[in-house]
Amino acid sequence: MFQTLKNFYHKLGSYPWFYKISGKVIPFVGVLSISLIVISSIWGLFFSPIDAVQGDVYRIIYFHVPAVSVSQVIYYSMSVAAAVFLIWRMKMAGVYIKSLAPIGAAFTFIGLLSGAIWGQPTWGTWWVWDARLTSTLVLFLFYLAIIGMQSTFASRKSADTAVSIITLVGVVNLPIVKKSVDWWNTLHQPASISISGESSISNEMLIPLLLSILGVYFFVFFTGLLFMRAEISTREQNKEWFKKLSSNN
Amino acid sequence: MIYFIKILKKEFLIYSRKSSSFISPVVFFLISISLYPIGISNDPGILKNLAPGLIWITVLLSTLISFQNIFSEDYEDGSIELLLASGQNLSLIVLIKIFVNWIFSCLPIIILSVLSVFLLYFPQEGLKPLIISLLIGTPTICLFGALAGALSLGKNSITGPALMLPLSLPVLILGTQAINYSLNGINFSSNILLLTAILVFLLPIILFASVGALKLHFN
Repeated sequence: MFQTLKNFYHKLGSYPWFYKISGKVIPFVGVLSISLIVISSIWGLFFSPIDAVQGDVYRIIYFHVPAVSVSQVIYYSMSVAAAVFLIWRMKMAGVYIKSLAPIGAAFTFIGLLSGAIWGQPTWGTWWVWDARLTSTLVLFLFYLAIIGMQSTFASRKSADTAVSIITLVGVVNLPIVKKSVDWWNTLHQPASISISGESSISNEMLIPLLLSILGVYFFVFFTGLLFMRAEISTREQNKEWFKKLSSNN
Repeated sequence: MIYFIKILKKEFLIYSRKSSSFISPVVFFLISISLYPIGISNDPGILKNLAPGLIWITVLLSTLISFQNIFSEDYEDGSIELLLASGQNLSLIVLIKIFVNWIFSCLPIIILSVLSVFLLYFPQEGLKPLIISLLIGTPTICLFGALAGALSLGKNSITGPALMLPLSLPVLILGTQAINYSLNGINFSSNILLLTAILVFLLPIILFASVGALKLHFN
């Protein structure tokens, strides 16, 4: 078991192997993710019951919650990749961080935007300096810093290392930001607003929500593979294996 | 050991002979502090409430002027390369550089922040937490500045500040909160302890990361 895992890990580091395997996986993941998103959206938007307090507005939850949850998961996965890159110098980890950062930033932005649209009718304001909103905003800024750092180095390897360092420093700092924002927030406003108000969410609402979360995770997997393939093909366009592959098609 | 003392002396000499390194943050601080009453309001009641945040934000922004100084000149004249090749403990050298930069860019501002008592009608009893929180909080900001400066060496881009400011958020929150606590008669020592904890926790991490970032420029 350990040996197969180790083999798999070593294979992951190889561009040609990854390119070949991801090409086979992509159609399935793509169809799965898009069908999950379509099903959960239709279910959530038309068939799940109306919320007693918020009315139809609550339905934005089917976009908001998956986006926010995936945005954090992407950052943590990127920090694991950053550690892998700095410790084992695995080139694929650099590709992973570079490809996933824009996706993470996009989903953080979707989360912030959908939250603002949701907040307008329910809280009466587009933006509140609530602890969670602020830490999500800081997460978005970290993503922007990572994306911005990509272009400041001429050599690919230096850029990957720099970005890995930032990602790791960011992941060390993120819990501190979260906690300090919590303390700051409790001084200014008592817990009058709580995003997770619907703890007693009914099953008819929960199932499409879980489906949409699953769909978004698969969508990130799908787009991540696409972006990584694109990144690999720009990095390896002059290599023998890539020329052979493209001449075959 | 003698080697590090020599580096310390050298850094002190460089900073003290280049007057712009410590004058420009001070000038920036004084100009901004005197702009707030003009731009916002000259009402003492309003300014008094805003003062802790205004002072802290201005200190944070004035470090943006000086953080490039930590490594940029050594990078341009090539002495960083020699330090990297010297085989000495790089983290210690970086620490010395950050320390001297802090003394010349942050310490004058911290002393001048006393002026806010007159300019921003800042209550005198808030001075103690203001000075303590600045003394403990600004080294952390200088650390972030060193990392940002090491990563964006030789480039005049927004990435340095874009990296530094989000990282400094906890320090800003805890620092202003300490002042507000003490003005409201609440014990502020927990915030000072947390600021110290952040400094001690991040010091080795950031030093390590900055050394890694410096090495990137000389592959």
